Amino acid sequence: METRVGPGAREAVFAQLADAGRAEQVAQRLTDGIVLGVLDPGERLPSEPELARRFGVALITVREGLGILRDAGLVETRRGREGGSFVVHDDAEHRAIITARLRGLAQVELSDMAVYFGAILAGAAERAAERASDEDAANLAGWLRNADFSTAAAARTNQGGFLLELAVLSQSARLVREQIRLQAEFGPLLLLGFADEVARAEAADLDQRIVRAVARHRASRAREAAGELVVMLARRLLAAKARVERGGALDEPHAD
Amino acid sequence: MSRTPTEVADAVSEVFRGVFDQLAAWRTPIEQLLAASAGGVGAAAGGTGAGASSGEVRPVTLDTTVADLVLPRLEEDDPMLVGAGFIADGEVVRGKGVHFAWWLGPLDDNPVLGSTDGPTRLDLSTRGYTEYLRDFRALEWYRIPATTRHAHVTGPYVDHLCTCDYILTLTMPVHDADGERMVGVVGADVAVRTLERALLAAFLDVEEPLALVNEHGRVVLSTEPALQVGQLAGPGSRTVPCAGTPFAVRVQPAGSGS
Repeated sequence: METRVGPGAREAVFAQLADAGRAEQVAQRLTDGIVLGVLDPGERLPSEPELARRFGVALITVREGLGILRDAGLVETRRGREGGSFVVHDDAEHRAIITARLRGLAQVELSDMAVYFGAILAGAAERAAERASDEDAANLAGWLRNADFSTAAAARTNQGGFLLELAVLSQSARLVREQIRLQAEFGPLLLLGFADEVARAEAADLDQRIVRAVARHRASRAREAAGELVVMLARRLLAAKARVERGGALDEPHAD
Repeated sequence: MSRTPTEVADAVSEVFRGVFDQLAAWRTPIEQLLAASAGGVGAAAGGTGAGASSGEVRPVTLDTTVADLVLPRLEEDDPMLVGAGFIADGEVVRGKGVHFAWWLGPLDDNPVLGSTDGPTRLDLSTRGYTEYLRDFRALEWYRIPATTRHAHVTGPYVDHLCTCDYILTLTMPVHDADGERMVGVVGADVAVRTLERALLAAFLDVEEPLALVNEHGRVVLSTEPALQVGQLAGPGSRTVPCAGTPFAVRVQPAGSGS
């Protein structure tokens, strides 16, 4: 299965952290990456010193964060030359964690994250449409054509990669950095709805619309399609939140 | 107001010539090392080592050589380069598919890589996107030198893999002992803001507004406030090529209209 077309979602998992409760943030970031399939079962995480550098925290903070993951059964640590921390696959456990995460965030927090994510993405899409050369647009279109959306994990990785590639075309280092940060903080939750193949198909269609608008330098259409994409994802996220609050299943198909 | 656009274009060429001369100076000892390995010198060190054959160089030997070459340029005060090194294709480095002997200079607060106060090795083995980079030969900074056999400048572009900054990447092909086959590229990254510091005064010394643009018309530096870095420039009254580079100085440039 070819899932690693885009680097965005994966590198976002390791983007730098800020502020207090850092061990918990380390654990949360890696937990999201694992339970939402950005990090693969059996994958070895970067070394502790590398994680410390990437997250911008002390080594002891990383160890504490990994301890939280071990206690949660999400990683196992092996010793020796081929040792390290490895992602454990346990579907039931993952779903329980996602459910708890959704219950822990208020509707207002989820919708506010979506508003901010949507504002940054729409701005990046608009600038990309203004600034992409014909070659840039052709490259993005080609990339998207070959991106696999057939499974939830592949679609999450590639959707993250697509959004990052789109931000790159804005020519703004700040927008790219903010896109990486937001994908790290919010991407896994926002793409929760990708368990449903209808959502994946809708997102892929909207991605195509964005690419067409970029290729034709139609800035307002690119902005509009990017906005619709985030609205669609947020609607599904809030529907999942409502389901779990009612005691229902995480990704039970819902009637629109 | 004492310079002409042609003189400014010459100043641009001069800056790039400096970096290309540096790449050429790095390329020579790397090609010599590869040639020595191809000549069987490496066999003495390997003995029974798995996968040892002529034409391959030990990764540690290559890394030491490249580090000794590039680190001084990354550690100097006000460095022109934010990253530099050698990227080898799959057939010259023992036991490796693709080998990145690449170092990053000190990084400011960086959302992906953190802050560093000294050079760091680009270590793809601990990064999630190693798999993605396996088709690095399709990326512009490798593909174009492989096709043209000439040095190339990629960008300006937001590099989200290495520096998370707006940069130019200069690459130059490295060939095998026969000079036939490209086996990798030596390269260096230059931040657009560093280039601007080196050139802005010269651009401002011309009465007419100017823009430095790449082959696609993308603006690297502009003294026309309506035309900003990263935009695609419209036509100007004339365009002066910067010899030895893909860049040109566009006089009285128009915006792209979008």
